[in-house]
Amino acid sequence: MTPHHDEPFRLHTPEFSGLNQQLDRRDFLKRTASGLGAMALGSLLGTPSFGATPILPKAKRVVYLFMAGGPSQFETFDYKPKLQSMLGAALPDSVRKGQRLTGMSANQASLPIAPSVYGFKQHGTTRTWVSELLPYTAQVVDDLCLIKSVYTEQINHDPAITFFQTGHQLPGRPSIGSWVSYGLGSENQNLPSFIVLVSKDASKDQPLYARLWGNGFLPSEYQGVQFRSGKDPVLFLNNPEGYDGNDREQMLGYLSQLNRLQNDTWGDPEVNARIAQYEMAYRMQTSVPEVMDTSQEPDEVFDLYGPGSRDKGSYAANCLLARKLLEKDVRFVQLYHQGWDHHGSLPKGMAKQCKQIDQATAGLLIDLKRRGLLEDTLVVWGGEFGRTVYSQGKLAANDYGRDHHPRCFTMWMAGAGVKSGFSYGQTDDFSYNIVKDPVHVHDFQATLLHLMGVDHEQLTYKYQGRRFRLTDVHGKLVKGILS
Amino acid sequence: MMRLLLFFFASVPFWFPTTKTIDGVKVPEEVASAYDKLPAELDYNQHVKPVLSDKCFACHGPDKAKQKAGLRLDVAQAAYGSLPENPGKVAVKPGNLAKSELVHRILSNDPDYQMPTPQSHLTLTAEEKAILLKWVKTGAVYKPHWAFVKPEKKAVPTLNGLSGYSPVNEIDYFVGQRLVREGLTPSVEAPKELLLRRLSLDVTGLPPTTAEIDAFLADKSPNAYEKQVDRLLASPHFGERMATDWLDVARYADSHGYTVDRLRDMSPYRDWVINAFNQNMRYDAFIHQQLAGDLMKGPTGNTPSRDMLIATAFNRNHQQNMEGGIVEEEFQTEYVMDRANTFGDAFMALSLGCARCHDHKYDPISQKNYYELYSFFNNVREAGQISWNDDLPTPTLLLPTEKQEELIRFMQSSMKEQETKLAKTVDASDASFQTWLGTGEPQKLKTQAVPQVGLQGFFTFEDSLRNTVNPSHKGKMKRDAGDADKPVFSKTARGQVLELNGDSYADLRPVGVFRKSEPFSVGIWAWFPKDFKEGVIFHKSNAERLYNFKGFHLHAKNNRFEICMAHTAPSNAITRQSNQPIPRERWVQLTMTYDGSSKANGFKLFMDGAELGMETVMDQLYKDIIFYDVKNETGLQIGGWWRGLGFKGGKVDDVVVYNRTLTPFEIKILANKATWQAIVDKPVASLSQEERAVLKDYYVSAVDAAVAAERAVLQQQRTAFSDSTRHIAEIMVMQEMPTPKRSYLLQRGQYDAPGAEVFPATPASVLPFSATLPKNRLGLAQWLTDPNHPLTARVAVNRYWQNFFGTGLVKTTEDFGNQGELPSHPELLDWLAVTFRQDYGWDVKRLVKLMVMSATYRQDSRTSAELRERDPENRLLARGPATRLTAEMLRDNALVASGLLNTKIGGKSVKPYQPDGLWEINSMTYKMDTTDAIYRRSLYVIVKRSVPNPTLGTFDAPTRSSCIVRRQRTNTPLQALVTLNDPTYVEASRVMGEQMARQKQVSEAIEWAYRQLTGKRPNENEVKLLDKLYTTQYETFKANSTKTKGWLKTGLKKIDTTLEPAQVAAYAVVANTILNSDATITKR
Repeated sequence: MTPHHDEPFRLHTPEFSGLNQQLDRRDFLKRTASGLGAMALGSLLGTPSFGATPILPKAKRVVYLFMAGGPSQFETFDYKPKLQSMLGAALPDSVRKGQRLTGMSANQASLPIAPSVYGFKQHGTTRTWVSELLPYTAQVVDDLCLIKSVYTEQINHDPAITFFQTGHQLPGRPSIGSWVSYGLGSENQNLPSFIVLVSKDASKDQPLYARLWGNGFLPSEYQGVQFRSGKDPVLFLNNPEGYDGNDREQMLGYLSQLNRLQNDTWGDPEVNARIAQYEMAYRMQTSVPEVMDTSQEPDEVFDLYGPGSRDKGSYAANCLLARKLLEKDVRFVQLYHQGWDHHGSLPKGMAKQCKQIDQATAGLLIDLKRRGLLEDTLVVWGGEFGRTVYSQGKLAANDYGRDHHPRCFTMWMAGAGVKSGFSYGQTDDFSYNIVKDPVHVHDFQATLLHLMGVDHEQLTYKYQGRRFRLTDVHGKLVKGILS
Repeated sequence: MMRLLLFFFASVPFWFPTTKTIDGVKVPEEVASAYDKLPAELDYNQHVKPVLSDKCFACHGPDKAKQKAGLRLDVAQAAYGSLPENPGKVAVKPGNLAKSELVHRILSNDPDYQMPTPQSHLTLTAEEKAILLKWVKTGAVYKPHWAFVKPEKKAVPTLNGLSGYSPVNEIDYFVGQRLVREGLTPSVEAPKELLLRRLSLDVTGLPPTTAEIDAFLADKSPNAYEKQVDRLLASPHFGERMATDWLDVARYADSHGYTVDRLRDMSPYRDWVINAFNQNMRYDAFIHQQLAGDLMKGPTGNTPSRDMLIATAFNRNHQQNMEGGIVEEEFQTEYVMDRANTFGDAFMALSLGCARCHDHKYDPISQKNYYELYSFFNNVREAGQISWNDDLPTPTLLLPTEKQEELIRFMQSSMKEQETKLAKTVDASDASFQTWLGTGEPQKLKTQAVPQVGLQGFFTFEDSLRNTVNPSHKGKMKRDAGDADKPVFSKTARGQVLELNGDSYADLRPVGVFRKSEPFSVGIWAWFPKDFKEGVIFHKSNAERLYNFKGFHLHAKNNRFEICMAHTAPSNAITRQSNQPIPRERWVQLTMTYDGSSKANGFKLFMDGAELGMETVMDQLYKDIIFYDVKNETGLQIGGWWRGLGFKGGKVDDVVVYNRTLTPFEIKILANKATWQAIVDKPVASLSQEERAVLKDYYVSAVDAAVAAERAVLQQQRTAFSDSTRHIAEIMVMQEMPTPKRSYLLQRGQYDAPGAEVFPATPASVLPFSATLPKNRLGLAQWLTDPNHPLTARVAVNRYWQNFFGTGLVKTTEDFGNQGELPSHPELLDWLAVTFRQDYGWDVKRLVKLMVMSATYRQDSRTSAELRERDPENRLLARGPATRLTAEMLRDNALVASGLLNTKIGGKSVKPYQPDGLWEINSMTYKMDTTDAIYRRSLYVIVKRSVPNPTLGTFDAPTRSSCIVRRQRTNTPLQALVTLNDPTYVEASRVMGEQMARQKQVSEAIEWAYRQLTGKRPNENEVKLLDKLYTTQYETFKANSTKTKGWLKTGLKKIDTTLEPAQVAAYAVVANTILNSDATITKR
């Protein structure tokens, strides 16, 4: 009988255990590529290729700085000088066009315009406008590719963040990092290929949930593994107290002998695969603490990332750790920084948030660049939606809130394969609608995959009879930002 | 340059394949050679449709909107017919390759002509092309999809050619027949120890005890095995094991899911499932009660039993959202869809959810079909945005304990008595009323501008927001966010009034705090602008929907007034809507009155002194309407509310608040429609009957001391009653609306894009909905178990088969549609399905017994390398099943082996060991239990959807966010870290180590631990190896006692300090090594 359901095909022998992940990949190739020709070409040129027209991968790794909560574009990158004279004026119906609002401000009696209280200046050789809240980012603005015209359909946190991370607004699909990890496998046999870091110093206004880095219906080896700042950076990584690595190694030696003895009866390849997983677990016990130990970094590096970088688990420390992980060729590093959901007291909140991330973000870029890593690393910065031009709640000259705004907001990318010192897309004078070059979430996802050498239409996984992909049935490459 | 090069390579073929000719058509050699290897006769369902479905149906299948070129290949008529875009040509000409367009297209290399198109990213293999060719050549016969054809019971085959094989029951004949065909022989029965472990884990989820193993080994009787089967089926742990799987299907969890993911307690449903299996509830009743228990008759009469209502929680287990900004309808719609999708996945293995946005691409389920099924689940009054204060989303069922129930009954009868007593006292008040008439007291009433008795608040807004009755109540303007505003007053003919902008509201606390046991009245003068659409006039609550309207309010919407009093709207509430429209641009006086009865007919609205006719939408208030927050209890608020629509452009004046039910005459006075003067100035003797009645009414309400005393007693009793129901447990259940809610086909699956109205019906492709069935969930449940239903029984037996054999007869347990796999043993599947439904009357235990009694199940799982290679997944069943223990079994096995297991069944979920800080990403803190609850079975471990428990989640226990009928079975390094270092397993190892240390000899200790964990004795080599491990570890620990620390101190269980620490630690390592070995981890 022909197998009609694709499931990861595995070779269950110890010699091949290290290849397992790559085999999944090859299976994927087999299923999606046009056949032998593309495969042969791919290996001929020493690059993975997907599909009839192979894509040259520009990025080997990704670091995605996810600003959970939805940072305001008005106080960061989308400079709207005309608003200054419109403080308190009602948002014109001709701009709003009856578009839906959240349950929080839909019932508000008026929608008064709130210009940014923070000033903008032009920076870099590209004379790019950046808010005074991001002085360090302003210094590296020539390395950024700003996309001011990102949009989504989701107007609330859970659906919007789930949409960004999985390509669908409802829970259940694999996250973007899982897709990448499934499609491209791992380049490091001692560390997971998809690692998640959560800032401990962020205000936890909107909660996070593990399914944002979950594997959905992909095999669970492709889920994101959260590295935590405490003494047990990966769950259950530490041996029982006092029992050291040598002790463990000895015990595992006996365990693998015991498994082999038992398997004399069964001859089950699954046992060998498990022995290999124990070996990987043991290697992680050494490699994870090693990579997480930043104590050997010179002061100059800590200075670059800023004051928080010595405080493990902070955003700044996570940025530094991300650089170390990328150096080890971890495929996908995702940082979450919560606290951007400013329905009220936005000026105060944005000042605090920006201060928390500004120096370290710029530091990460500089550090990657000087180490030559930015050439084949893609850096992404952004939240799940933007904020409204009108004030949620009462508007005062120096105090206002902004509700969720899915119809346009700013993200940036930097590094491998994208133009630097470049701005793409344009919003209207109210940053309410896009007037040029809209970029949908699925377009962003398609572009990210493309930069990694993957055709988003071809990276599919069959589940419940249907071929699923990150971009669902949508998404088009944003060619305008490619270098 | 690189790009150009690539393009060049990719677009030019490397070779020009040689061709052969079949039936006058040139065919590449590889296709021709595949063609020759095909069986003589192709079966449409087995060979052809899987190719058509997977590679063609996406564009030429059941989805009408996506049918390219007007062609569909899923039905014969269309495939044989003339091609709309190529008149004269046909896609499929039976028996004629050359005249079949399909043939040319699939063989073509021309990107503009070939099928599947390059854009589809789908390709046909040579074998698949050959299959389609041969199918066309041999007549292109279509057959209905096997799973949609009612199963028939074929005769049990006889077995020839299997010497020495002793089949036990029918299963073995079907399986044996296939083995003969494949030239294979079944395996012998598994060794007794392994067999009992397999059976015990499969049937109860727990391993056998050493005593049970010894008893079985010693039992030489011919029915020794059957005795074990019967013992295990009778064990209360059977229900726990079966429930664990069903809870995956039912997406049972202890939290609401979505972003906020607060905890909720649905454990009574979990316990219902365990019980149902233990009582051996028939599968049809099991389905009926979960889908429609609320619509069924109970065993003792017309109303369903409490258990039947609890069962309906099945349809409320889905995730529910409490995110602040969500749109009510969006998520209300989502919940209904979840029910419909789960209905398809759980009972029919059909991915109905695919038809949410468009017709199903592969199966004959149209989008209309989907919304027709959806409409069955739509008739429940529920919230889309659930309450922020952790009240369970309604409708709910109260679950009083026996003691509470007794108390309730007692209080209800006391209240009834008191109501009678009050009525009698009212009747007896005539004499004192007459006396009162003569006292001159009534004449004093004329001086009152508004009624004075019970007046708590009177806000005239003449100078400020203060309460003229109690000037310490100053009142304050508030708003959703930002600084408070100053009140805006304006002068009108009524004097000074308060103007409202819809965002700011007057907070008049502490006035207006009332409980459902307390009578009250609130009056207001209001002026509605012409363009006013919707908003709140006044209310007592924390916010709009986010608090599910707890409290009371007067609201205007759809040009009608709505009064509501709620514990948790919409279904624990009284809600009434006026029949009359809202008057505009004139002052009206509105008075809400309530009598403390918790009934809709005691909750009224008057306009300009006249009671408004109202429609009662909900009359079901069973818990109190306050927040029980002594410090911050909100009071009456005028003109707006947090995150809700306010009284934009409205004006209000003269707000009055009473702690009693005003009489109609007093309300007329408030509305300037009557005065006391007109009555009380008359001599008593000349009062009309009507006037006397008005005075009597007032007297009884406001004056008579005896009546007041009895009323006070009643109110006290009602308050006490409310207090005693406050902490009664609740569970979310289904409750049908009296008039069905209208349902619409939602275009693109969007809640706000309704299309044509739809009505309850089922897909005719599966089985039409019989006209004799009620068009509600009960009818739908009965439809499922109709003898003609092709899917229900098959899907059920297949899932049970998966439980015991590791893989279903249909491997895709979740998909019996066109894209699902075909059954490995179709006749067996059908025989089991019909037997289960018809002969066994849906008896689950009997079906389970049949499966585990079979020789097929009892086979040894050892096999040769050749057979493993030939049949890696054991689909042919020439050997016994071998699978890794599930997450739950693994943990439970360790708890049993160490003797730590707490066997309590049922009750609230528990919180065992879990690393600190995990729930924090979701803004909660995990507080571990500190009693022996931490040793309860794994199915009781709390399921917080946003943060899976790592001990179980790492081993593929699902998050229960949606219906799962087949778990993943993965093998990852993170799993190794769990069984090596998770305190759960370290503690179990240490507790075993202590018991090992009490044995006389090392080898004894090893054998004991090995048996405890694996159910069998170790062989000599294993003992030797483990003995050596013990010795080296002992030496290590002896030399350095700090190394023992983690092994000895992990876990709550106190250590026996009389034992030698190095010895205990070394044995703990030995136990943990066995625990991590294959003999423990795999069920063989």
